Amino acid sequence: MVRSAIASATLALALGVGLPAAQAQEKVVTIGAHMPLTGSLARSGQTFNEGMQVALRMCNAASPKVQVKVDVIDDESTPAKAVSAVEKLASSGSVAIIGGYGSNIVGPASDASDKLGKVYITAGAVSDELTQRGLKTFFRINNNAGYQKGIATLLIDLKPQAVSIIASTKEAPTLLAQGLEKDLAAKGIKVTVHKFDPAITDFKPIINKIKLQDKPDIIMMSAYENDYVGIIRAAKVLKPQVKLMVGTWSLATPKMYTEFPDLMNNVVGTSFLPFPVEVKSEEGRKFAAAYQDMYKKEIEYLATLSFVETTLLCEAIQRAAEAGTLDKGGLADEMRKTDRDTMLGRVQFDQTGDNPNFALSMGQHREGKIVLVSPKAAATGDIAYPAVPW
Amino acid sequence: MTELILQALFSGVLIGSVYALVALGLALAFGAMRIINLAHGELVLLAAYMAYLVESRTGLEPYAAIPLALAVVSAVSIALFMLVNMIRDHRELNSLILTFAIGIILTNAILLAFASDMRTTTSAFLQDAVSFGDVYAMRGEIIAFALSLVLMGLLWWWLKASWYGRAVRAVSSNRGAAMLMGINPTRIETVSFLVAGALASFAGVALYTMSVVQPAVGHALTVKAFIITVLAGVGSIPGVFLGAVLLGVTEALTVTLASSALQELAGMVLFLMVLFLMPNGLFGARARRG
Repeated sequence: MVRSAIASATLALALGVGLPAAQAQEKVVTIGAHMPLTGSLARSGQTFNEGMQVALRMCNAASPKVQVKVDVIDDESTPAKAVSAVEKLASSGSVAIIGGYGSNIVGPASDASDKLGKVYITAGAVSDELTQRGLKTFFRINNNAGYQKGIATLLIDLKPQAVSIIASTKEAPTLLAQGLEKDLAAKGIKVTVHKFDPAITDFKPIINKIKLQDKPDIIMMSAYENDYVGIIRAAKVLKPQVKLMVGTWSLATPKMYTEFPDLMNNVVGTSFLPFPVEVKSEEGRKFAAAYQDMYKKEIEYLATLSFVETTLLCEAIQRAAEAGTLDKGGLADEMRKTDRDTMLGRVQFDQTGDNPNFALSMGQHREGKIVLVSPKAAATGDIAYPAVPW
Repeated sequence: MTELILQALFSGVLIGSVYALVALGLALAFGAMRIINLAHGELVLLAAYMAYLVESRTGLEPYAAIPLALAVVSAVSIALFMLVNMIRDHRELNSLILTFAIGIILTNAILLAFASDMRTTTSAFLQDAVSFGDVYAMRGEIIAFALSLVLMGLLWWWLKASWYGRAVRAVSSNRGAAMLMGINPTRIETVSFLVAGALASFAGVALYTMSVVQPAVGHALTVKAFIITVLAGVGSIPGVFLGAVLLGVTEALTVTLASSALQELAGMVLFLMVLFLMPNGLFGARARRG
């Protein structure tokens, strides 16, 4: 996939040689991307790559004067490889870097990028620490606060007496669990947090503790896809008397329902699109059509995140190139001028590079469809509550 | 609290039996050839993907994939053995490096062939809950437990009573002396790798029925199997089962009585304690002589 993308870009460049003089003025700018195309985060990386490729195709079509091509390096889901990828991309002429997935990988990679003076943007790292480092070249479109706000809004609206949070000890899930614990406790909700090592596969002992000791109304999963499957499967076996199972990223997706139909019904997760996909914006419709054309499938969560970050970077590059500031460190300034509506809502970057407007809706799996159930302003239907997958 | 501990013990025994199934093949190759096959987890993973392939393409239960898994994993095992057998110097160390590299190649081959999506059974039959009084399990876990016991018994019998089994033990004990007795060590080692591959096939299919698999889990399986092999002591088949169950129960009790975040740490502490107090493992050579 990466090879074909690079080959396409090379072919496009080669063909460009023979074009008329008017088109010979076209400027080609190279950006770099490090993605976890192999290793434990490969699924996320490959989907990110798809969203990025579609964004570049659309961005280049919209502004033919400045064409942006991407060199992609597989960081193999490891921080050391990500750092070396950034150094290699920078030395081969990339003007900016699109980051990979995971705060522990994005952290050192963006540090390296900052030292090399390259703008770095990510949609796959939500740790608060990343924006507290004072980097002038770091930007991201999503953050822990947005996820926390989306989930806390739903949980508080449901007025449960007790919530049990099952949280992976990885950085982002831990941070989210801590924030939710604080938000819910402030509303008088009893919260019990159960942390788990990402290596574990049998969640029955945790679910049994929740069933016999916590007796909550809601189980909240701050975890990743393979954890959700293990947790819900264990809950299906032990059947705790809860009213709802709620999760976070990559849960309320059509793919999860397609692959695990017996486990997903009525489960709630963060989302920004209902399914069947109803994209309201013109840009969203074009993205969905281009994605279908290139990858023969419906757009999904991670691809959309990647699409948005790449589009914003591409537009900033085109603005800087047209203003003649691209080679003079003007890209970071152009990034800071970003203020536009996207498929994720309005995106701006504050002084730390964070997007203060980021917030997500909550979607509920309902017999193969995903209904947006919270917040009320974005809802496409009422929540089924109490409702569990078993 | 009693109910909690009973469930933890039950879950620990069930997960331990699958750990044992995964570790058996590694223990056999280690015992017979003094080769730590660091690609063993990837062989298990390959079998799990065969189960996925059969279930997703035919709609059959995952256990119907065992013949395919046996064929594919055995073929890869033989290829692996042929490569290992080409090593002439420092066999133990060089085989570690070689099998580690093969593990990486296999992981990425699986990634290319099956993508990075996680896979697990969708069989309602295997996912159904089964209760024994106050304790619960998935039907898939009970079947995997029974399979583990049966295979353990068969392997025990094979090593004790069959000519090939005795030859494996002879080569393991003294390769030179075994040659003098008319045993062809290469043939016996080939058979050991084949049997280890067969065990990995069953383990992979069982794992697919009760857990989530994705290309990256192969390495973790190898580490777990290695811990169990060392816990058990080289060459002890019952030791593998008991070591695996001990590890499973320790992990489950840690989750129940302390925190699930400490589960992996508890397993490693157990491993270090056993190494410190009983360097030959729980059922290693010295213990058995005693």
